[in-house]
Amino acid sequence: MTFFWICAVIALIGLVGYLFQSLSVRFYTAPRLTEEEGRYRSLPPVSILKPLKGLDDGLFDNLESFCNLDYPAYEIIFALQNRNDPAGRVAERIKEKYPSKDISVVVEFCDDGLNPKVNNLIPAYKRAKYDLLLISDSNVRVEKDYLAAVAGHMTDPSVGLVSNMIKGVNGRSLGAVLENLHLNSFIVGSVCFLDKYLGLPCVIGKSMLMKRSDLEAIGGFAAVKDLLAEDYIIGQRIHKLGKKVVLSNHIVGNVNEYWEFRKFFNRHTRWGKLRWHIGGIKYFLELIGNAVFISCLPLVFSPLRVSLPLAALVSSLKIICDYYIGRKLGARMNPLLYLLAPVKDIFIGCIWFVPVFSNRVVWRDNTYLIGKDSQLFPCPAAGKRHWRPAIIAAIRSKLALSRS
Amino acid sequence: MLLCDFHIHTTYSDGSVELRRTIDIFGQAGFDVIAITDHVVNGDNSLGKLAHRFKYSVTSNNFYGYIDHINREARRAREKYGMLVIPGVEISKNHLTPDRSAHLLVIDIRDFIPACWSYEEIFLEVKKQRALTVACHPHHMTLKTDRDTLFLWNNRDKYARYIDAWEIANRDDMFNVVGLKKYPYIANSDFHKPRHLYSWKTLLNCEKDTEAIKECIKHNKGVAMTLFRN
Repeated sequence: MTFFWICAVIALIGLVGYLFQSLSVRFYTAPRLTEEEGRYRSLPPVSILKPLKGLDDGLFDNLESFCNLDYPAYEIIFALQNRNDPAGRVAERIKEKYPSKDISVVVEFCDDGLNPKVNNLIPAYKRAKYDLLLISDSNVRVEKDYLAAVAGHMTDPSVGLVSNMIKGVNGRSLGAVLENLHLNSFIVGSVCFLDKYLGLPCVIGKSMLMKRSDLEAIGGFAAVKDLLAEDYIIGQRIHKLGKKVVLSNHIVGNVNEYWEFRKFFNRHTRWGKLRWHIGGIKYFLELIGNAVFISCLPLVFSPLRVSLPLAALVSSLKIICDYYIGRKLGARMNPLLYLLAPVKDIFIGCIWFVPVFSNRVVWRDNTYLIGKDSQLFPCPAAGKRHWRPAIIAAIRSKLALSRS
Repeated sequence: MLLCDFHIHTTYSDGSVELRRTIDIFGQAGFDVIAITDHVVNGDNSLGKLAHRFKYSVTSNNFYGYIDHINREARRAREKYGMLVIPGVEISKNHLTPDRSAHLLVIDIRDFIPACWSYEEIFLEVKKQRALTVACHPHHMTLKTDRDTLFLWNNRDKYARYIDAWEIANRDDMFNVVGLKKYPYIANSDFHKPRHLYSWKTLLNCEKDTEAIKECIKHNKGVAMTLFRN
């Protein structure tokens, strides 16, 4: 009975916290700039850097959406590490389709760091013409007024970086639906909550606009080339420079259409490890915040007559909050799919424990060990692993890391 | 080189993705040429009747609607992605034993061809329509869930002269016997689900035009295959 009450109280606290997260989202979904306001403001030219690797869902449309921006002057640089990357064909085709646009495709291998996205960005950065740099992931799709809305913030000289809210869209497989549910609930809620109530910038690298001078002041890409959370750290360092880090109310779509369940699992164990190594003890708050998972624990460990109603009640309230956020974001998801939110939360609760026991991350076919502040280290035993040698290798690398 | 896939199913037969979305999947991935080839199943035995019952087959009733839909989507694909879409079918003669079963792609089809016709009748009609015939998955496949279709290979001495090309690779399977016999070859995905995008494909060195593509496959010059991976 005691265990039940402990879980019930924690779940209630988590639910109240989540309610605040949900409410914080509405501050960032206010009406956007009107077309006229956007048009008459003097807007500086922008270099859009798009690191590409592999075929993301809807890649053609994602890239094409950047060719139709209602903005006076901008260039797009598609950056690839490898000429045989299938994304290169798509980038070339986009370039052919829009000959009047300032588009370049840069294929240059770079292994300066361990972060493959930063390695991809370094050659693109060298070729960028303008002082405003927009880093945008390849799985992002935007609307015509996106750049005007984001760059508009840069007319304030105290602003150092502008990032955007993201919403998961177009999910058609189970993995993609779960991913979009998570992006449109916990992720977006946390970002808004931290920004609104705690004044802590939490930059997600799907879309980041910054000045070249500010990037260079924090050491350029070289300073983050071995970090997994390069986006978050860039935000933190620019914030430390005394510049504002703004969360724009322009919501960009993160297209996740045909994800396999394994991909969803892999991304959230990776992001979990990242938060564990950056946040440390604060990572435990995430578990408390997962009210559905906590409310389900008595069902397993101390089943009582009231355990099921508690789990059902908490799950229902969570579904309502998720639906509210989804509506606010304009996620256009089938309302019935929100019924999967508790299943997703239980799963996320289970993988919450993984980062505590493992510091190995797999990202885009690369395997690393992750340390403090998401510092990456080469993984000594990448590839197929057997349990015993893997455990021994993990202990050895942990010891080596702690000594260093 | 043109990146091509000539063996693609949609919800018109047993594919899991509808036609428009299928075309978008290939267009978004930068393909140059694809052929939509839904099953036309023989209705003269219990297996075929089941396929017709569960609408896993294009029939004479919906064939022209199917072709019309592909042509409409082909115009959209050309405009949006610069991708050529060719209408086709997979004539599927399914029997209980693999030795009697055969699947045959008909690419650039114009009129309906029933799968219950004899092979001779089918080949004659295909030639009349100036379409292309491709023997698909002609040899043993590794996947145990799939049924082998060996009739055309076992009877190659009789039918090879009517067949314009053979699938040397289908999704993850390779049929090295096709190479050993030096038959004209292409490689396809046998696309049924989005994940099948990543599979064997054909590369053609010719113009992006239906007639040029058919000629290139028939003469089998400037043809290569690639395992398309992300």
